Amino acid sequence: MEVKIIEKDNVLTAVLNGRLDTAVSPEVSAALQPLVDQADKTLVLDCKELSYISSSGLRIFLTVRKAAAAKGGKVIVKDINSEIRQVFMMTGFLNLFEIQES
Amino acid sequence: MSAKKYQLDPHCEAILEEYREHLPQFEQVKNQVLSLLKEVFEEVGLIVASIEGRVKTEGSLAGKLELKGSKYASLGDITDIVGVRVITFYIDDVDKVASAVDRLFEIDWENSVDKRKAHEIDSFGYMSLHYICRTEGFPYRFEIQMRTVLQHAWANMNHDTGYKSGVEVPKEYLRNLSRLAGMLELVDEQFSQIRSDLTDYRRRVQALVASGNLDEVQLDGDTFRSYLQLKPFDKLNKRIAAVNQAEIQEVSLMPYLAVFKAMGCKTLGDIDNLIKKYREGGYQIACYQIGLTDLDIISSSLGPQDLCIAAIVKNGGGKRDITKLFDALNGESPSNEMMAEMLLEQVQDLPFMNQ
Repeated sequence: MEVKIIEKDNVLTAVLNGRLDTAVSPEVSAALQPLVDQADKTLVLDCKELSYISSSGLRIFLTVRKAAAAKGGKVIVKDINSEIRQVFMMTGFLNLFEIQES
Repeated sequence: MSAKKYQLDPHCEAILEEYREHLPQFEQVKNQVLSLLKEVFEEVGLIVASIEGRVKTEGSLAGKLELKGSKYASLGDITDIVGVRVITFYIDDVDKVASAVDRLFEIDWENSVDKRKAHEIDSFGYMSLHYICRTEGFPYRFEIQMRTVLQHAWANMNHDTGYKSGVEVPKEYLRNLSRLAGMLELVDEQFSQIRSDLTDYRRRVQALVASGNLDEVQLDGDTFRSYLQLKPFDKLNKRIAAVNQAEIQEVSLMPYLAVFKAMGCKTLGDIDNLIKKYREGGYQIACYQIGLTDLDIISSSLGPQDLCIAAIVKNGGGKRDITKLFDALNGESPSNEMMAEMLLEQVQDLPFMNQ
């Protein structure tokens, strides 16, 4: 699982690549810390290359959302695949995030 | 404006010098007063239009001293070096602000003015409450002005006429300003009245909701919010969560207001009936979807989401109707149609569809 952080025009994007499961969640959580720290900005979770998300992954997304809500930023989840979209729907997470498709 | 342009006698120069020496303290006190007020407003949940403060500039003080310097024995006699203004939305809130100021600072009542009470019964004009205050450890007094947005607007317009500049203003103009002050006074009162009426309405609705008379309560933003306080979807969400021993993430369910309205609900009773009728269907959909996964987190939006899907499909709704539900909840997306199609296939064989 790879996480790359890109900052451009006051937008912080985390490009997620691979499977976000329980095993990798501690390292992903740590890698996403810059988003939590700068949650007053627009935060983008770019999921184009994210193939799978577990409950641990959903919890990480939630942490980012909570930080943004507290600091006045916003979170955009971008380009989730149909399986992840289904996970979001099955858990009632769909309307928690602004979901964008490019 | 520089003080150098003013003709000041040695007495006034000394006052000005004292001002220069204490300027950092004035700034500090202004900031302290502003943050104390903000803090106390937040504490009591008082929302005001603005709180602003300023320290009189050297030029402005010099101008004042040039005009009426002999009136002041020392800098301490000038009470508006630090000036703070609180602008409220409602006329009742001016008194609330005043009581907060009274709680925080020592008020020099002799020099404080309630311009609202200064008018004769047949005159209308400047309406503002001015308190001259002291705070511990600071020898100089400061002024806090409190007024409503409309009173503030009138005061600014009045100021712009140059009424106080000594230039003769036509009587008709002044009469128009006075008429406007009277009108704004009425508008201010009406705003307060509307707020009180709304608060009464909300209380009545809350009482109806609490007593269970939901059929009598029209569905709107306020009533739905009150209804959600009863946690009507809790039972369903907990039942769904139990399937995977999942944790429930609480989220706002206000987006469902539009959904329930679109589904034809006109009263809270209609939603309550919908829950009773379709909660089993909603549970079966959720159970089917997460039962074979290891997902152990759900949002509190899941119960109402699946309940609405159950209601739609049970009433003969199709892909288009479920897509519309997702569009309303999650924003429009081509994927919503795809999910709706998949869902429709999944639910057909669930027991509630055949009961």
